[in-house]
Amino acid sequence: MHNEDYIASGILELYAAGGLTAPEREEVERRAASSPQIRQALDEACAAMESYAGMYAVRPRPALKDRIMLQIGHPAQPEDVASAETEGAPVRSLHSAGASEPSAYKWMLAASIALFLLSGLLSFHFYNKWQQAEERLAGVIASEQLLAQNYQNTSLRLQSQEETLAILRNPAFQPVRLQGVEAHPEAGMTVYWNPSQQQVYIDQVALPAPPPGKQYQLWALADGVPVDAGMIEYSDAQAGLQQMKAIAAAQAFAVTLEPTGGSKVPTLEQLTVMGKIEF
Amino acid sequence: MADRYPIPKLSEEELVARLRTGDTAAMSVLYDMYSATLYGVVLQIVKVEEVAEDVLQEAFVKIWKSFDKYDASKGRLFTWMINICRNLAIDTIRSKQHRVSNTSEDITASFHFSSDEFKPEHIGVRDMMDNLNPEQKQVIDLMYFEGLTQSEIADTYNIPLGTVKTRARSAVKLLTRIFKGRA
Repeated sequence: MHNEDYIASGILELYAAGGLTAPEREEVERRAASSPQIRQALDEACAAMESYAGMYAVRPRPALKDRIMLQIGHPAQPEDVASAETEGAPVRSLHSAGASEPSAYKWMLAASIALFLLSGLLSFHFYNKWQQAEERLAGVIASEQLLAQNYQNTSLRLQSQEETLAILRNPAFQPVRLQGVEAHPEAGMTVYWNPSQQQVYIDQVALPAPPPGKQYQLWALADGVPVDAGMIEYSDAQAGLQQMKAIAAAQAFAVTLEPTGGSKVPTLEQLTVMGKIEF
Repeated sequence: MADRYPIPKLSEEELVARLRTGDTAAMSVLYDMYSATLYGVVLQIVKVEEVAEDVLQEAFVKIWKSFDKYDASKGRLFTWMINICRNLAIDTIRSKQHRVSNTSEDITASFHFSSDEFKPEHIGVRDMMDNLNPEQKQVIDLMYFEGLTQSEIADTYNIPLGTVKTRARSAVKLLTRIFKGRA
């Protein structure tokens, strides 16, 4: 729109009379700022309205000027003047200026609450971590103890195996294989005998399970006389050798089933295995 | 703005320049020059003296604090100031939930020429004001003293928008002719 048409449209008069919305006013001000012609016409219309308004001019009470000048001159303490006379109609800008300090405290309060919550969360997190570490440490200690026990067991077994091996390798020991009699063909046992040191060991015990109250007893036959060589400790898994009583002389070994604790004379009907010493 | 009291007057440019430096003495001059007209308009809008005083105080503090926002390229200083006063006054009556329909009934009746501010130069102007017919006067008064926009007047009073525009334009044109060479 050309400037002349714009001026003739009447929008400047509407501006001066106050009949435009805020966006429309801004548009008029923008055009006035860009065109001296429009600006002059706008000033003319505004001056007319201001002269019209001047017809309603009323001089305010002199005290009002004092109030205003005091507030402008001392914007820091306006409360005593403003609130004393105006009964709670303070200027908005003062409110916002006064509100800035509490809002700083608000921020600090909010920040401290946030920090408190954060530290609470962190405490909970690290407490959980600590508990997990304790549990794992207990597990590690338990498994370490188990390992030590296993090691001890293995050491003991190794020791007994070494003893066994020492006996087996010792040429002074004579192995005697005891065979099952007719009633017990599957039974068998080996006796290691060291005549010079009178030591007797048994190994590879394969005897039927003894009935309750009964126990196997080893006999050494020396010149036809049976000599008690000790009770056999029956168990399912014989790990190593079992040492028996000392025997000085023998030509054969035999095992009989006897009442628990043994007998002085073998019950020959209960002969289970027997073997002669081969010289 | 003529006045019978001796008021130190400054040109608008000089006043604006001093106010930009935060000169409180310039603010005092500004108050003396314009407070009566501004207060008169505010009083026309809010109708109660105590309220009008509070609004004028708030307006001058706002003018003082936001003076850097005044853009001389967009309009005259007085136009900027009267707009601040009018906006604050209109906000005040609207926030107190003054109903437009209630106050607009007797709006013409409530308008009065203040007797204590009798101004000799207005003699003759009043005679010419008779040329402003009541319909034209109503439209510019609703805009200026009630803060209604042209479309709000058209809607509220069932007047075609074009008629509102024409009446406002004619009224301001007539006022321009009346006051030209006087103010």
